[in-house]
Amino acid sequence: MAIERDKITGRNTTGHEWDGIKELDTPIPGSVKWSYGITIIIAIALIALYPAFPYFSGFTPGLLGYSSRAIVEQQVADAASERAERDKVLMASDINDLVTDSAVKEKYEAAAAILYRDNCAVCHQPDLQGKTGFPNLTDGHWLWSGNVEEIETTILYGINSGNDDERIAEMLDFGKQQMLERPEIKDVIEYIRSISGQEHNIKMSDRGDEIFTENCESCHGEQGVGGLESGAPSLVDSAWIYGSDGGALFKSIWSGRVGQMPAWEGRLSKADIRKLALYVKWQSHAGSQ
Amino acid sequence: MSTRHQKLERHSIAFTLMILVVASIGGIVEIAPLFTIENTVEKVEGMRPYTPLEQAGRDIYVREGCYACHSQMIRTLRSDVDRYGAYSLAAESMFDHPFQWGSKRTGPDLARIGGKYSDAWHVAHLKAPRELVPGSVMPGYAFLATQRLKAERLPSLLNALAKTGVPYSGEHIEQAAQDAYRQADEEANDEDLLIERYGENVNVRDFDGDPNLVSEMDALVSYLQMMGTLVADDDRPGEKVLQ
Repeated sequence: MAIERDKITGRNTTGHEWDGIKELDTPIPGSVKWSYGITIIIAIALIALYPAFPYFSGFTPGLLGYSSRAIVEQQVADAASERAERDKVLMASDINDLVTDSAVKEKYEAAAAILYRDNCAVCHQPDLQGKTGFPNLTDGHWLWSGNVEEIETTILYGINSGNDDERIAEMLDFGKQQMLERPEIKDVIEYIRSISGQEHNIKMSDRGDEIFTENCESCHGEQGVGGLESGAPSLVDSAWIYGSDGGALFKSIWSGRVGQMPAWEGRLSKADIRKLALYVKWQSHAGSQ
Repeated sequence: MSTRHQKLERHSIAFTLMILVVASIGGIVEIAPLFTIENTVEKVEGMRPYTPLEQAGRDIYVREGCYACHSQMIRTLRSDVDRYGAYSLAAESMFDHPFQWGSKRTGPDLARIGGKYSDAWHVAHLKAPRELVPGSVMPGYAFLATQRLKAERLPSLLNALAKTGVPYSGEHIEQAAQDAYRQADEEANDEDLLIERYGENVNVRDFDGDPNLVSEMDALVSYLQMMGTLVADDDRPGEKVLQ
């Protein structure tokens, strides 16, 4: 054990020696020591300033009162009031006037298209032409009249959506509930094909006419022209939600159909829903009032 | 040059004890507070343990690796809240084992997907995503619709979760398989027993549109349609976000 002074570096050795190899006792550089100390001070400061540790009845809130929730709620509220200001005209006017106002269309069509793409296109498709089970919005055939006010109501509260103000429409399961026998259903199918101008068996469709009058007319209207207040589709046009072939029609009559449109109230703002209603109306070329 | 440390270094047992004391400070500061982390989870109305059918759907979600592309955490960022809805609360994943948080998304966040689309859409989309969403890179899961839900596994599944702290009682566990059928099978009886056990905010219907089979599709869609719907807007702490 002999601590000696190294001539070249001017440092002492540790005093250990292994086979003639000695070790210099060089301290940690001051800059490293200081940065270490500073990081500890910064850490303590951050703990004091921001929410940090959980404890028995909550967590340490920090001196700055920082809350990411409060910040985002403020940002969202600011954006909402900014939008409300911008969309004031939209909410203050009658939607029936807005739909024919070309200035409104010019101002909102592009924004509404984005809203549509983000929220509606997965079902009704980007071209608004729908898919099997998801109605076409461009063909001028409407379940609930196609009036822009009615379209807005449908978007707000949905159809069979579970919302308190939902529209309710149900195609009964005539087969399952044994209200109609299998051959009777086949006859009705032929009748439906006849009134919608498709190939059909005349004898069967004549029989189906009577069954249709007794069972289907109360919703689908006389001769199947549809009931705009009941959501029962017209059966005389070329628009079919679930398909017009025998198999699809049989399934509809046998096990019923309960189509669902979600309610967007609460998920989108009232102004955004109004933009979507206008957009749908603008895009439905043939749109019947 | 100080040589005091040399004295310490020569008392090996005392020096070991001193090292232990110093090292444990890090542990005490970093780990001990975490034992009280449950106290930071706000209490909110509406949260309930998942029904057996939803829990089975959740297991399918994890089994199929949905988490690789979808997160279930709406962050406290304006862009997230604008796109997906109110930010997620800690309480909303209190019964999740394992939780599905994350910010790496290939598909959209699913924390508030419940009720956004119809059952029929979910089924059609899970079967063939690109039929409905052109350009989607999501794989199809058509086989779920034909695969019978193995409800006989559910009691042991709930039992395992009960051990991790999910408040399932003996009755919940015992009736798990029947409760799954009560939720998804239109012809099953005693739905009121299911409601009694889990509360009013349970969707009871045939989710996949195939009344003849309680399938894995039923389970997954029931889970998706429940997601983010348990805590009502009015019961959230803090201000309401949408006006």
